[in-house]
Amino acid sequence: MARRLLIAAALAFLGLFVLLPFIAVFVEAFRQGVPAFLDALAEPDAMAAMRLTLLVAAISVPANIVFGIVAAWCITKFEFRGKGLLITLIDLPFSVSPVVAGLIYVLLFGINGWFGPWLRANGVEIIFAVPGIVLATIFVTFPFVARELIPLMAEQGRDDEEAAVSLGASGLQTFWHVTLPNIRWGLLYGVLLCNARAMGEFGAVSVVSGHIRGLTNTMPLHVEILYTEYNFVGAFAVASLLAVLALVTLAVKTLLEWRYGDQIQGMGH
Amino acid sequence: MGITVSGVKKTFGTFAALHGIDLEAKPGEFLALLGPSGSGKTTLLRIIAGLEFPDTGTIAFDDEDVTQRPVAERGVGFVFQQYALFRHMTIADNIAFGLTVRPRRQRPPKAEIARRVEELLDLVQLSGLGKRYPAQLSGGQRQRVALARALAVEPRFLLLDEPFGALDAKVRKDLRRWLRGLHDRLGLTSIFVTHDQEEALELADRVVVMDHGVIEQIAAPADVYERPASPFVFGFVGESNCLPVTVRAGRALYGAHDIGPADAPEGPANAWFRPHDVIAAEDGIPATPLLARPKNGATRVEAQIEGIEKPVEIDLPTPPAPGAPVRFRPTRIRLFPA
Repeated sequence: MARRLLIAAALAFLGLFVLLPFIAVFVEAFRQGVPAFLDALAEPDAMAAMRLTLLVAAISVPANIVFGIVAAWCITKFEFRGKGLLITLIDLPFSVSPVVAGLIYVLLFGINGWFGPWLRANGVEIIFAVPGIVLATIFVTFPFVARELIPLMAEQGRDDEEAAVSLGASGLQTFWHVTLPNIRWGLLYGVLLCNARAMGEFGAVSVVSGHIRGLTNTMPLHVEILYTEYNFVGAFAVASLLAVLALVTLAVKTLLEWRYGDQIQGMGH
Repeated sequence: MGITVSGVKKTFGTFAALHGIDLEAKPGEFLALLGPSGSGKTTLLRIIAGLEFPDTGTIAFDDEDVTQRPVAERGVGFVFQQYALFRHMTIADNIAFGLTVRPRRQRPPKAEIARRVEELLDLVQLSGLGKRYPAQLSGGQRQRVALARALAVEPRFLLLDEPFGALDAKVRKDLRRWLRGLHDRLGLTSIFVTHDQEEALELADRVVVMDHGVIEQIAAPADVYERPASPFVFGFVGESNCLPVTVRAGRALYGAHDIGPADAPEGPANAWFRPHDVIAAEDGIPATPLLARPKNGATRVEAQIEGIEKPVEIDLPTPPAPGAPVRFRPTRIRLFPA
């Protein structure tokens, strides 16, 4: 009896706070029919926002793949001073509010920031431009890959790499033929989460973007602008794309967990 | 010739793992590094392999200094305790790995590699299993794959870290005998690490007993067992008892009991003896039996001698009578300074 009550409570909670809003997004998006939905998506500013979001993800995800592998590699395969500090730093974006993350970049690279005058003198635009958005996105997403790989690689130890090297393999061969295959599913899992966050990030990006239509608006920012302009169909049409991204992410994530759960660590964040 | 280790020291942070190790493995020899965990035996093996580097001291292979050379350039075959097979590769690909990663010019042609893999599979008695994956093999089979993979690159020396550590007792014994046979056939100078004295004594040509980063004794198995160089070795390579004695006029005396000849300076000493080197004697040392169980056709008695904290373990021909003390006399003792 108690069990049923608990299950019912959990389901009701999920339905109210997750499922219902999710359905609402699609209902609102199609409220004026499919043509209106398609028009909203084909609108130039919406297209620009989609292109920008894809571009930001296309830069920040690979950057964090490289960073994540390098960080996880050196943390798990070598002993050095300050390792604990490095691990704490990797976690920082999870504990810092994204708005603060955005403000850090404004402080550093903004007009009145530390490097602002120099950047301005040299004609480099970071804040209120694409580079700032990319930097802020990299910051908020960099724990995903590293966090996923560290426990996995720590558990696998160094034996496989040492075996490869003792058989004459070079560092690159060892990485390519031994390390990468050992971590591939965990890596894919981390990339998936990293990508979802990179495309969906709002707070940090909002601070550095400047909200210039057609230029520095990513999809989440564009949704907000349309919404505040009472363009509900437009807002929910773009939002529905983000919702589909979430669905696809969830499906692939579940598939990975189901098929390769033993090779994926730290599931659940 | 062979492997020469001279003056090797190694410290990890504040922990001194090895304090000045000198050691030689002669060509064709099968050497065991025996010691408890923390004795530095694995560190020494890894330094010989080039997986670790010594703080001071040198490693020479056939009189050629290789101290600074990384593992990839040393030409050793290393077998890891947990085998470290590449789980996403087939057995055949695992064995071929060392050949396929060679630079194009030194790499044998595909057919040649395949032939070599077949040969090695044959050698380790796993013919026909080349297409399987490591997870589909038993522990003993994986161990042999690891060995075949190490042999594929035709190493100058074979180094094995606890080669039987992860196997159950029965497989261990069979594999041990098989490995010894293989060594005799290949004649490859080999060093293996073990914490199991039985394994070391059965397999090795010579045993290197280590404790706390120093070598306690290097000797043939029979000598290590019969003539241990230190109390540690005596205690580690077999069951042992220790009695405090006084040496007087070439005899070892435990109280009033003369327990044998003493080739040691006058004064206090410790007499060590094995459980089977005792006889029951009417005028022997009295002890109160605590436990008795049959062992190897005799009775193993654990008995308390008055005034000695650790009970002695002795083998007597008959079980002790209930309530009565046993009386025994060591027949073979070894004296060490007290």
